[in-house]
Amino acid sequence: MAEVIFYLLDEEQNDAQPAPLALACRLAAQAYRSKQACLVLCEDKQQAEAVDELLWQLPVDAFVPHNLTGEGPPKGTPVEIAWQGSSRSNKPVLINLASQLPEGHQRFKRIFDFVPADDQQKQQARERYKQYRGAGHQLDTRPANSIEEN
Amino acid sequence: MPTTRKAFAKDGALATAIQGFAPREAQIQMAEAVEQAIAKKGQLVVEAGTGTGKTFAYLVPSLLSGKKVILSTGTKNLQEQLYHRDLPLVKKALAMGGKTQLLKGRANYLCIHRLAQHGGNSTLVDKTVLHELTLVREWASSTKTGDMGELRSLPEDARVLPFVTSTVDNCLGKDCPNYEDCYLVKARRNAMDADLVVVNHHLFFADMALKDTGFGELIPEADVIVFDEAHQIPEIASEYFGEALSSRQLQDLATDMDLVYRTSLKDAQQLSKVAEKLKMIAMDLRLLFPETPQRGNWREQLLRDEVDAQVQKLKETLELVYEVLKLHLGRDKDLDNLYERAAEARSKLNKLTDKDKLGISLWYETTPRHIVLHLTPLSIAGRFAEMIAEPRRSWIFTSATLLVGDGFEHFTRRLGLNDAATLALDSPFDYPSQAILCVPRYLPEPSAFTMKATLADIAVKLINASKGRCFLLFTSHAMMNDIAAMLPERITNPILVQGTTSKRALLEAYMDDGDAVLLGTGAFWEGVDVRGEHLVCVLIDKLPFASPDDPLLQARIEDCRKRGGNPFAQIQIPQAVITLKQGAGRLIRDASDKGVLVICDNRLVTRDYGKTFISSLPDMRRTRTLDEALAFLEHISQESSEP
Repeated sequence: MAEVIFYLLDEEQNDAQPAPLALACRLAAQAYRSKQACLVLCEDKQQAEAVDELLWQLPVDAFVPHNLTGEGPPKGTPVEIAWQGSSRSNKPVLINLASQLPEGHQRFKRIFDFVPADDQQKQQARERYKQYRGAGHQLDTRPANSIEEN
Repeated sequence: MPTTRKAFAKDGALATAIQGFAPREAQIQMAEAVEQAIAKKGQLVVEAGTGTGKTFAYLVPSLLSGKKVILSTGTKNLQEQLYHRDLPLVKKALAMGGKTQLLKGRANYLCIHRLAQHGGNSTLVDKTVLHELTLVREWASSTKTGDMGELRSLPEDARVLPFVTSTVDNCLGKDCPNYEDCYLVKARRNAMDADLVVVNHHLFFADMALKDTGFGELIPEADVIVFDEAHQIPEIASEYFGEALSSRQLQDLATDMDLVYRTSLKDAQQLSKVAEKLKMIAMDLRLLFPETPQRGNWREQLLRDEVDAQVQKLKETLELVYEVLKLHLGRDKDLDNLYERAAEARSKLNKLTDKDKLGISLWYETTPRHIVLHLTPLSIAGRFAEMIAEPRRSWIFTSATLLVGDGFEHFTRRLGLNDAATLALDSPFDYPSQAILCVPRYLPEPSAFTMKATLADIAVKLINASKGRCFLLFTSHAMMNDIAAMLPERITNPILVQGTTSKRALLEAYMDDGDAVLLGTGAFWEGVDVRGEHLVCVLIDKLPFASPDDPLLQARIEDCRKRGGNPFAQIQIPQAVITLKQGAGRLIRDASDKGVLVICDNRLVTRDYGKTFISSLPDMRRTRTLDEALAFLEHISQESSEP
């Protein structure tokens, strides 16, 4: 059973970026600093590359070593960015940006997910929430501003 | 007399005399720090980012101090630039008289004695060399300085040069019949009298380590010593605090013995015979190693029976040479010198074959025809610190690339500069808007076989977007040559490859073409200054970690580990960071330059230590989207094609 934390987003944008992506980067940075390997699962390859770009552009003090699925050392890196259908390695923490409930969600210790401000996406998030609960995960919701700034 | 701050002021001496000079805070800060170090006889380490104007920042306070100053820089070219371009400008602006002198290494000066030796009885037969010799002879009758660089018609690597210049080995010093007219001696005397002397690091350390006799007087006289390109100092100093002996040196010794027999001591045929033997045995040592040039651990090689046996033979033969030369001592000046050389070679060979000595690395390298044995101290911090402690004077170390992350320790620790003041000055350039740093996505791992094809693809895209005007910098010759072979069928731009002709000629061709692509390794990572739209893109194939096979590096790593250190963090990363900063520094040379730096090594993104590299590079806009970098290049190309 994983601890699933949903962040409630009240803005569509954050630092001129789509809010879920910006917050996913912050969470990935936090996980890296607390030495927790994490997987950022994206809707598609394009979104994965956008997350990669954001991580790469973080101020150098907040540097987060990471890789996209399909690149990087055989042993992997602290933060892997994958998309639905791409292969992915074992990490204890999942940051979910995909609209569907991720496959193999049972194996994570902790899952971060988002309830975006956009109506359609909000609806999809509610759906995932139900499914997580149905799978027996322990759920929690928090306001987006509870994520520390980098 | 104006103070440094006044000289740099808006209405100061520099602004008045030099067109386009504008005072810059960072430059003034550095100049004042140098002024203080000079006044306090202190040690100062300054990183001044590209465009700070560090040359003026040390020249002005040096000249104003009225003290005796030695300026040392990385290469002959930089020496000439400093001496012929910057120095006259500043001197004129400050209205300072003061004697200045350019002093190059011994190999740059005509040796009258050697030239005469190759007169009537010359043993030279090669046509090209004989032709070059004629050129030298004509020029020799008119030159005032004897600086071979004046003879522009002679290629930089002309084969005649070793025959008409001297080496520490074959110089007769005060015993030379031409001593009074010697150009090298004259240049050194002028340097002794000068207030400011411009030298290069190799020359400086040869003198400091007393590796070149007769020059040792210069440094003790100086009050202020300024090293520009100071990031090179630890390597160069280590080299000069060590020992080296090559089969070429022994062969030269043998050749010169034969020359003495043929030209003056015609009764001493024995000279020629033992010389021949020495030559053979030295060559036989080379034959024990693979044909392809390599570097390796000499201590290990000495454990091979056949190497050990050959070294013993070489020792015996050198002993014989020494005894034969001794028999004829006093009969001929050149022979007396050969005797000293043989004695020196004998003692060096003993040091280079002492397997039990600690704190040093014994290593060797082979060239197609020769072998060089090296002894390098693993640490020079103690010796260097001692040398600069007494007598007290000012030592200034500056470069655009000294910081690793935000620390100077890796530099100061290696040189034992424990009390040096440090100063870090950012470049005045607006890197975020002038330049993009791109590490493309989905690159293979750096050592993967598929990297070659990927690199070629990226290079082609960049070259098309930038309309040539690219440097492709490589960490290995092999990769450079592979890419050089793949490009011609994919692009139409002129392709210039290092090694096909001299560095100078390549750069000239590059500037003339206007849409060329230049492929280079080591020599092009540093000291190349192409401003403006001629260079808008630099591609680097890999993070420039030194080869882990390098025997000297291996010895340093081992030593660091024994002391409980972390060699990767303390030795390998700092070295690679400094090299990468140098390579990256080729791109933006001026406030109006724009360009793209592409580094095809995803370790910058995927490894923890990527942070150290990124934080050491200028603050360029980062992207992983190659298309964005290409779009920026296309934008630059459009801008520059507009009238």
